[in-house]
Amino acid sequence: MSDAHKELEEILKISLPENLVEEVIKVEEGHFDVLTAINTAYDLMKILHGDAGIYHLSTITGIERKKEFQVCYHLQHRIEEEFREVPINFIVTKIDKGNPKTPSMVDLYVSADYYEREIYDFFGIYFENHPFLQRLILPEKWPDDVRPMRKEYSWEQLKEITLNMARQISEDD
Amino acid sequence: MTEFRSRFRTLVDGSDAPPNAEHHIFIGPQHPWAEEPAHFIIHVKGERVVEADIRIGYNLRGLEKAMEAKTWRQNTMLIPRACGICSAVHQNVYVRVVERLAGVEDQISERAKLIRMFSLEAERVHSHILWYGILAHDTGFDTMLHISWRDREMIMDIVEDISGNRVNPALMLPGGVKRDIPKEKGDRARPLIDELIKKVEYHKKVFTEEISIRNRLENVGVLTKEDAKKTTPNGPTGRGSGLPFDIRKSYPYELYDKIDWNLVYYNEGDILATTLVRIDETLESLQMLIQILDQLETTQGELLVRVKPRIAEGKYMTRAEAPRGEDLHYGIANGTDKPERYKIRAPSLGNIDATLKRMDGEYIADIPVILRSYDPCFSCTNRVMIINDKTGEKLIINQDEFARKAIKAKKYNRPFL
Repeated sequence: MSDAHKELEEILKISLPENLVEEVIKVEEGHFDVLTAINTAYDLMKILHGDAGIYHLSTITGIERKKEFQVCYHLQHRIEEEFREVPINFIVTKIDKGNPKTPSMVDLYVSADYYEREIYDFFGIYFENHPFLQRLILPEKWPDDVRPMRKEYSWEQLKEITLNMARQISEDD
Repeated sequence: MTEFRSRFRTLVDGSDAPPNAEHHIFIGPQHPWAEEPAHFIIHVKGERVVEADIRIGYNLRGLEKAMEAKTWRQNTMLIPRACGICSAVHQNVYVRVVERLAGVEDQISERAKLIRMFSLEAERVHSHILWYGILAHDTGFDTMLHISWRDREMIMDIVEDISGNRVNPALMLPGGVKRDIPKEKGDRARPLIDELIKKVEYHKKVFTEEISIRNRLENVGVLTKEDAKKTTPNGPTGRGSGLPFDIRKSYPYELYDKIDWNLVYYNEGDILATTLVRIDETLESLQMLIQILDQLETTQGELLVRVKPRIAEGKYMTRAEAPRGEDLHYGIANGTDKPERYKIRAPSLGNIDATLKRMDGEYIADIPVILRSYDPCFSCTNRVMIINDKTGEKLIINQDEFARKAIKAKKYNRPFL
């Protein structure tokens, strides 16, 4: 167990089982990265939400790496007596690029709903057990297979797709 | 209202409306009430709101994607465009991400940090005054709108004096700041700040003692602390509901831990509490501006440290307290001069859920006030004033008339008036 892992456990006043955690990295004083795999992510989040009482989810970031997708939940552990917050970046690693799937955290965080849908929109990462995984931000007529934030689409290509879509809509009208 | 779920869920055909709703009010995407193109769907029964919903995505500009195609240095000037009113705070978070990734965050001088803080606090003041002016307009108290916006010009003049721009000061660069605030500019600002403190104290008196405005705000749209914990609002929306978290206090950045100021929060949870949070914060920010000017007189230091264009591999998340709440940026560098991924979470998105929750069971007449409470942007530019420079005669015309006159003038080749 690394020093950062112990320090985070002390701050949260719980024990984080080592088989659920891939790695804990201390970014700076009172700011941690927690890395975990897809099959352990939900259980670990349940511990953080239930036992540690972390209720604030700031946002979720979708990340495309060379060989994998990652999803980063930006949590804030709030200590009300000290008016202090401990940011925790909860990163789900090794999401397969061919078949991107990761557990949804909607049961635990209400706000995960629209942040996850945003990532589904932009990256095409499928959140399992999400009750309403539908388009949030992209236009209704946007082609389903184009996930604009993926690296395979350049700025110029997206411009062309947008213009084609607009042309199509005006012709249909 | 049956189960606790996020909003953002109405389908295009409205087929998932709550069963006990009788009518559905559609507001937007284009509506004179709001500048931001958002589509609100309000399900009502009689005079009461059953549930409110929203559809977003009408203003996607692809800023995050655009940033991946530009260099870290170019992005410094792209990032303030994320928001029209709180541009400085976006730039501040961005430069702190870049400094940390480039490893120069310890070399930034105190003077540069103070100048950044001056810009941030001035922005908070003008954003809050703008907001409660419009709130007064929504409650039907237009006198207060004009009074507060007249007084807001003082802080706008200060911002213009120190930066050259009214709403986009763009003072910050990775490594420090672009411009200094010399002593004479500070001296010019001091009397204006003192004057503005008196004016804002008067505004507070109006909001707390004037019965007509108080009745529109008190016990309207109450968001309890339990509901706030579930819907995760941030910034003044959360602080009005008893969540005492301000990133300047809870995770200090720049020099906020070395300056005297009080955390403002209220426990009532209604719109009046949110308003008072903002007014009190304006007063706090104004006294901070004076402290910053005092400290600037004695603090010297390098304004700008060199940051290399190529940024080593790494990732960093940081936040700042924008006027509307928590502004979160997450930057990932890959060793080149361009970002691998850059995520921006502006505060308003996190506040929409809580604001729509406030509406359950409220009157239709309170909808504008409640929707305004999380501080969306505003447009009131459908009129224009023309002053004849020879006679000094003033003429106010609306947009249609302006267009008609312009077309006539072009067509018949004659003067505009």
